[in-house]
Amino acid sequence: MELLDRYLEAVKKHLPAMRQDDIIAELRANLESQLEDKEAELGRPLSPAEAEAWLKQLGAPMQVAARYRPQQYLIGPALFPMYWFVMRLAAVWAMVIYLIVNAVQIAVRLSGHFATTEAATQALIESIAGALVRAPFALLNAAAWITVVFAAIEFAVAHDVVKLPPGARLQPDWNPRDLPPVQADSDGGGKPRSYAHAVAEVVFGFLLLGWMILIPWHPFLLLGPGVYALRGLPYTLAPVWWTFFWWIVALNAVQLAWRCVDLLRDRYQGSRLAQHSVVKVFGLIPMGILLSVNDHAYVLLRDNAAGQPQLGVPLEKLNDGIFKGLLVIFAIATAQLLWDLSKAGFRRWREHAGGMR
Amino acid sequence: MTVAENLFENLRLELRRGCLSLAVLAQLRQEHYGYTLRKALAARGMEIDESTLYPLLRRLESQGLLLSQWREEDKRNKRFYRLSPEGEEIFTRLLAEWTAINESINNLL
Repeated sequence: MELLDRYLEAVKKHLPAMRQDDIIAELRANLESQLEDKEAELGRPLSPAEAEAWLKQLGAPMQVAARYRPQQYLIGPALFPMYWFVMRLAAVWAMVIYLIVNAVQIAVRLSGHFATTEAATQALIESIAGALVRAPFALLNAAAWITVVFAAIEFAVAHDVVKLPPGARLQPDWNPRDLPPVQADSDGGGKPRSYAHAVAEVVFGFLLLGWMILIPWHPFLLLGPGVYALRGLPYTLAPVWWTFFWWIVALNAVQLAWRCVDLLRDRYQGSRLAQHSVVKVFGLIPMGILLSVNDHAYVLLRDNAAGQPQLGVPLEKLNDGIFKGLLVIFAIATAQLLWDLSKAGFRRWREHAGGMR
Repeated sequence: MTVAENLFENLRLELRRGCLSLAVLAQLRQEHYGYTLRKALAARGMEIDESTLYPLLRRLESQGLLLSQWREEDKRNKRFYRLSPEGEEIFTRLLAEWTAINESINNLL
């Protein structure tokens, strides 16, 4: 039957080259026997429609041929958990390295000469925008290379190109003692933090840190167009503000590093209370530095010889007001910290008391 | 097909898949070629698609459980299969395993 010949020819194209003829010869013999029986039942040859229905019921040629191949994986079930673990790790580190490299490139570019501040700002915005647009491609690149490497390992092991020693495993050895502790509920209850959320926090943490580091050279990033108005005023900030500013940058860097470690150690779903508490405690230090400034000199005159200009509020009163404001903020921050610690302490006491019953 | 019917069909196929190799080895205690094997299994209540059975025969042969031979019959070259000595041993052990599983299921029900 011509249709059967065409069907077998189509199946043959998708068979492994070495075994094509053998398999097709066997398949032909079986299908011709089946066809004979059908025609004997009907007492006549199959009609074209009946022949089509019969071949269709056998299955598409590519699918029929695929069943003669061994089951193949790009990355098999034995290797996949390791692959997925490495992929997650690489996603974080690829982003970290990418952000650091781009931050350095932007800093180098901006250290060059620009005709106007507007040109420098435009160059900064273009650089940041370009880095953000290229970021997904950096991730895809890392993911592609990891997939290729693991696919090569799978191929090598499946085809005995690389023979594993007897008893060797693709998974690393593990010890129950090394397992992380049970994760507490996220602070305040509710759904635990997702991996995507934790990665996004780290990525935006790096962006925030990069932005903060650029502020001293480009105050426009913080104050916007207001920086030009401030330059016209006779006042300037006291050096203590730079101490305060770098303390805040350092605290952010420590918090970011902590989050990176939590992510790498798979503890991103745990309670953040310890982290928040430590940051708040150390955050009181720069506040304390500001409060201890002599004569509350937060704002200074650019030119002392010019005498004190009157802008509605004498400088002394301005500084006094700033001091009182900082004192209130310090008191609120301390009260909030004590409240959080007492809440956490009470919750722990309740869990402990409940466990003892 | 509803979700429940789809689920049942998947589980049913999974259950049958586990029994196919045992059924084929059982039937090949007598020599058959692909089509007659399929007819013999169907006659005993074990319907198997050609596209499942014929590759399965090749796989069992590559695992050393079957021996095959090309022979002319009714003016047509056909590939006949039968159990190899290793195949007979494996079949006996699989049959014992099958009997034990059957007993366990009966105890559960």
